Amino acid sequence: MNKNNQNKIKKSDVSSWDTVTIRELLKSHNGISEKFRGKITLEPDKDFKLTDKIGKNLENTCPTNAISYKNNDSVSLDVGKCIFCGNCQEELPELIKISSSFDSAKKKKIDLVQTFSESIPFGKTFDDIGKDLKNKIDKTFGRSLAIREIDAGSCNGCEIEISALNNPIYDIEQFGIHFVASPRHADILLVTGPASKNMEKALKIAYDSTPEPKMVIAVGACACSGGIFGQNYATTGGIDGIVPVDVFIPGCPPRPQALIYGILLAINKI
Amino acid sequence: MSIEIIQKYFSKLDQFRHGLKKYVKNNNEIHVELDDSFQLIEFCEFLKSEIYLKLLTIIYCDERKTNHTFSIRYLLGSDIDDVFLFVIVSIDKKHAYFPSLSDVFPSSTKYEREINDMFGIQSQENSNLKPLILHDFPENLFPLRKDFDANTKLNYTPKKFEFTPVTGDGVCEIPVGPIHAGIIEPGHFRFSVLGERIVNLETRFGYTHKGTEKIAENMSLDDAVFLSERISGDECVANSMAFCQAIEKIAQLEISEKAKQIRLVFAELERIYNHFGTLAGILTDIGFSYDASRLNILKEYMMQLNEKLSGSRILFGINQIGGVKIDMSNESLSEIHSVLNHIFQNFEKILKHIQSNSSVMDRLRNTGIINKKTVRDLGIVGISSICAGIDTDTRKIHPYGYYSSIKFEQTPTENMEQQVKLQKQIGDVLSRFLSRVDELRYSKKLIDSMCNLDDDEICIPLKSELPPFSSGLGYAESHRGETLHWVMMGENNSIFRYKIRTASFANWPIIEHAVLNNIVPDFPVINKSFDFSYSGNDL
Repeated sequence: MNKNNQNKIKKSDVSSWDTVTIRELLKSHNGISEKFRGKITLEPDKDFKLTDKIGKNLENTCPTNAISYKNNDSVSLDVGKCIFCGNCQEELPELIKISSSFDSAKKKKIDLVQTFSESIPFGKTFDDIGKDLKNKIDKTFGRSLAIREIDAGSCNGCEIEISALNNPIYDIEQFGIHFVASPRHADILLVTGPASKNMEKALKIAYDSTPEPKMVIAVGACACSGGIFGQNYATTGGIDGIVPVDVFIPGCPPRPQALIYGILLAINKI
Repeated sequence: MSIEIIQKYFSKLDQFRHGLKKYVKNNNEIHVELDDSFQLIEFCEFLKSEIYLKLLTIIYCDERKTNHTFSIRYLLGSDIDDVFLFVIVSIDKKHAYFPSLSDVFPSSTKYEREINDMFGIQSQENSNLKPLILHDFPENLFPLRKDFDANTKLNYTPKKFEFTPVTGDGVCEIPVGPIHAGIIEPGHFRFSVLGERIVNLETRFGYTHKGTEKIAENMSLDDAVFLSERISGDECVANSMAFCQAIEKIAQLEISEKAKQIRLVFAELERIYNHFGTLAGILTDIGFSYDASRLNILKEYMMQLNEKLSGSRILFGINQIGGVKIDMSNESLSEIHSVLNHIFQNFEKILKHIQSNSSVMDRLRNTGIINKKTVRDLGIVGISSICAGIDTDTRKIHPYGYYSSIKFEQTPTENMEQQVKLQKQIGDVLSRFLSRVDELRYSKKLIDSMCNLDDDEICIPLKSELPPFSSGLGYAESHRGETLHWVMMGENNSIFRYKIRTASFANWPIIEHAVLNNIVPDFPVINKSFDFSYSGNDL
């Protein structure tokens, strides 16, 4: 009798785990650390003036050429190329603001480029977005949305975050979303990586075998623009050169909240 | 490295032949120049049998502009002394081949295939090597040669890859990949099975090849740090640390103690969250989802801690040349200690639960056994070698950064020999599982031993321009094993050649041996127990 009970979890065990892990985490999973580099915006301070020197310096600090300066006093920032290293904020805190927000996914690639944009207040938490997502999925997809993840040459940073969606904290299945094993079963393709040339063919085949209607979400700086790898002999510089993309989620890597925000944007398109 | 060790090695080298051109560089690198590549095999046999060195990597370099030749550096390392040996041979243009070392070091075949792909130079004996990294690549173009531009637009034409045929009554082939069923990276596995048993496995990689080594040559040093982080996202601290150390060696820059301490803390935090992830993955792959979920919670906890400390959940942006970017106070260090205490309390309970579950233990035991001799021959590093009873911990053998100030009395592998004798470490999935547990506990011990950070600058910037064509080797122990970064500087602080050998590149061949005679449904758990990176292999 004793032996049989040995493997069972005692109730006291579970409650002691709960106090230290689950409860605290559930409390904290909406509270994103202030230090997190999640959203980058151009927000000039009141007395900020752009000069030739500042602009050129700023342009040179970016390792992925996401910032470009034009002679006639304008700075533009392509969030899709940004790897969130934080160099530009260090160089020019008067103009570049990096916040811990995560709502930077955009439906069109051109929307990723900012030129002195206005920031829109965004106060939604993971659970709020999840609720919207669930309602939408209930209505449009008959309560379940199937996602297939395809790695088109990523560094596996994005994979860590995508698999974090499946852990008990974010638990994406509660909203009716599940990851499936084949593109033939999928509604949405989540594609990461700068689309290496060697994966081009496989990505095309996977896209073609996904049943209509289908959507593609580009996850991470690499999938949006090529990221730090750019376009070279081995990469194609973003997956939108290979398959049509519906939503771009910038970030290096985008956090789980940013991912479900992007998924919500995608199904809002229907 | 002490003078005695240098003298010991020099006198041993003299036994082979007097008057070898040899010199010491960067403190622990012995460079030997051979005039004639015909002696190479004999010399390497001598190094293997007399000095017990093993092949770590082969570095090819296109030096046609400066020396009118390709140079080839064989990097050998010792398992006992803190010493690296470079054997440098020049290949002249007339005969575009070099002697193959595959008879002495079987692990060299993979490096020779890589050189064949990237430089178009073949070893003498193996003239029809299979491509390793490049698929469908145009003929007579070789990416790492200096006359090839990184941004060339190429027309890829589909080519057929010839897998080794396995024939016989009832033998079937199962192709898997490049897109897998789970959320993992792309790679192709070709199984030949007889019934349920695997009789042969051939892997094909290169799907995530992004030209990392080539595009580094067009980058500034600071940007290349970001690139080195993205070699493999989950080992970014180890890789960027190794790269920074290589540059710091070339510049002869001694970084501050505090920067070293912060690097150590982040490197160990990275190891902890990744080991939690792998342990959870092993349990998921055998369908034991209860404790897998528990471990995933701990992983998430660690990632939130990472975020709090550094602003990135997977620790991007920690290292820079000359130190670190993220400052750490003693308060945040004590916060790390208390969080780790909580996490490890839970971890020990989960572990107890796993170990008392006989169905889990039965499934893990005797699955995917690797042979100690195979491990040695293939030059396997990290957990994959520790599980078979060979200690290759870089932190201990080649101490770097703050690890050199730590006494390695209680290593995770201290009882290794005894455990091998007791048949506890036989190279199966279970011994890999338990080795990871040991490393986890050890990492916690290392972080706990850091109670006070020095009061110091966290970064000392590079001052002068680095001398052109000087080189340095950086190394670090990632959670997969030893990662080696060799950098040769060019003019104006550019990078002339950046050779990366991650633990994954060295380790992937072992999977073809580990799965033999196992059943196909066990492949996922065997693969996960090794947990190699595809991106770190393909670069």
